[in-house]
Amino acid sequence: MGFLNNTSVVVDAILTRKGRELLARNDGSFRITQFSLADDEIDYTLYNPNHPSGSAFYGEAIEKMPVLEAFPDDTQIMKYKLITLPRGTAKIPVLNVGYTNISLKQGASLAITPQTLNYLGSNSTFEQSGYIATIGDVRTMSSFTGVGVNTAAAAALNTTTTTGTVVSQTVIGTTINLTATTVNTLFGSNTTLQTLLTIVGRDSGARISVPVTITKTNL
Amino acid sequence: MSFINLAATDFVVSNDGVTAPAWTDGNPSLGGLRMYTTPGYSVAPTFYTDVYVANADGSVTSSIPNFSVAYGHISGSGATLYNTLVPSASATRTVYNQFRNLVYADENTSFNFGTGNTSAEDIYVINVNRACYKESLFPGTFNLRLSNGTATEDLYLTNDSNDSTSITYLDCGRVYNLVSGSNGYQSANDKSRTNANNVSGSYGLFLPDVGIIIVNPRRLSQTPGTAGGLGINPVNAGTASWTYDNTYNQQILVGAMQKANCYFNLNSYETVSSDYVFVRVPNNQFNYTTNPSVISGSGALIYSTMINNPQTYMTTVGLYNDNQELLAVAKLSKPLVKDFTKESLIQVKLNW
Repeated sequence: MGFLNNTSVVVDAILTRKGRELLARNDGSFRITQFSLADDEIDYTLYNPNHPSGSAFYGEAIEKMPVLEAFPDDTQIMKYKLITLPRGTAKIPVLNVGYTNISLKQGASLAITPQTLNYLGSNSTFEQSGYIATIGDVRTMSSFTGVGVNTAAAAALNTTTTTGTVVSQTVIGTTINLTATTVNTLFGSNTTLQTLLTIVGRDSGARISVPVTITKTNL
Repeated sequence: MSFINLAATDFVVSNDGVTAPAWTDGNPSLGGLRMYTTPGYSVAPTFYTDVYVANADGSVTSSIPNFSVAYGHISGSGATLYNTLVPSASATRTVYNQFRNLVYADENTSFNFGTGNTSAEDIYVINVNRACYKESLFPGTFNLRLSNGTATEDLYLTNDSNDSTSITYLDCGRVYNLVSGSNGYQSANDKSRTNANNVSGSYGLFLPDVGIIIVNPRRLSQTPGTAGGLGINPVNAGTASWTYDNTYNQQILVGAMQKANCYFNLNSYETVSSDYVFVRVPNNQFNYTTNPSVISGSGALIYSTMINNPQTYMTTVGLYNDNQELLAVAKLSKPLVKDFTKESLIQVKLNW
């Protein structure tokens, strides 16, 4: 007779850069209310459905993998979320924003309206709860807003002002509006600025990252 | 859906006391020969001397001082005047008044070391770096061996925290007496030295809540042996006529700490508040992933076996606010398999 292991897994959490920022803001925005799970680092090509020892060993190469420590950069972790879908789903939701990379001149604007493919039996749909868009370096934008979602949470997030050094900004909406910065000093001796735009479907969990390049025009 | 709301019952706050060695090298005992006081490292030698932790070869292991030693005098003796036109105004008087205000919160009260020295004119102060003692000094761990260079006359100081049946408070919080002994217990020899105590008062005061140890210079100036002193005296203090000089009397106590056999043992104490979040993963949720390595460009699963029997391998738990901003993140030590037949309970610990 053996003993069942009924203990839970205990893990230590660290604050993300965004978490520290909200904690410092002291306006009640640092309040944990939800969780999500992700499988960052997992390469499913290691999954072997032809393993000679049978189905119990399909994921052997993945299960033995040592996991890295958590990164405090909130844009570089929780990339690939685990999602809940009906059993028998053959296609996973993916996002389409119409761009594989975005190039903007100083002061130029762009509106992005993401669509979710393969979600809720539809080839292409707009998610009801909208999309979370995070710009990696808020300094590169003179304006970064989300529109189309009229909830208190979205309104609170979309009116938040973030200042300082390289910090991200997150907005919620069905359409994301970007206007590139007109400030020359950010460029230094360079002619372009780069950052990353990450968009996540609030309902589906699907995610896409699009590199953003700002080109200097005010010489 | 990729987010689950946490219930109020998923949160537990726990406060735990944690003790640890106070010194920056992680060693509970700081040997006298490893106390490093290069003047160049001292910010203000007129007021205090910083003591660093050094390796056995003399190289400094920490760029921050572990503790500082100061000397204070009620009349400003033992230091040069700020201005020769203003008598008694010197660094030692500033130090005395500063710590008097901190300990007693009364500008008219002198330090009281008990019978024989109820109105002390001078003090040594050992001020432990806040980063070292964290929240407070852990009383029973304090052991300080002082020497005048003759090992048989060494003095072993501790506090009487383990002998005390009740805790005494001053304006600065808990206060214990410094006694000769070890690990919070007064030695039998020290208990029998009532005559010496009556002449010069106790060895000093141990103030754990403000990270300060006050040492009575009059007690250390007693003759070694039966009187229980060290025979060391601050320069130009304790004599009939007070004079001013720049000898930095705190160096006398530092010198008594830096001998070969000496040591300074101390642990810190802090209350660590932990927020435990219980993440409950039901069997019918989180069984699919958006990981690009398991789907083709159009979103189709690349393994047909995963259509009806999906398996995911969770590595990361993210904690969010209502705006779905990622506040905290935890990683598992290894990937945890999840499918429609498995449920998981993950306890995430956030320390404050």
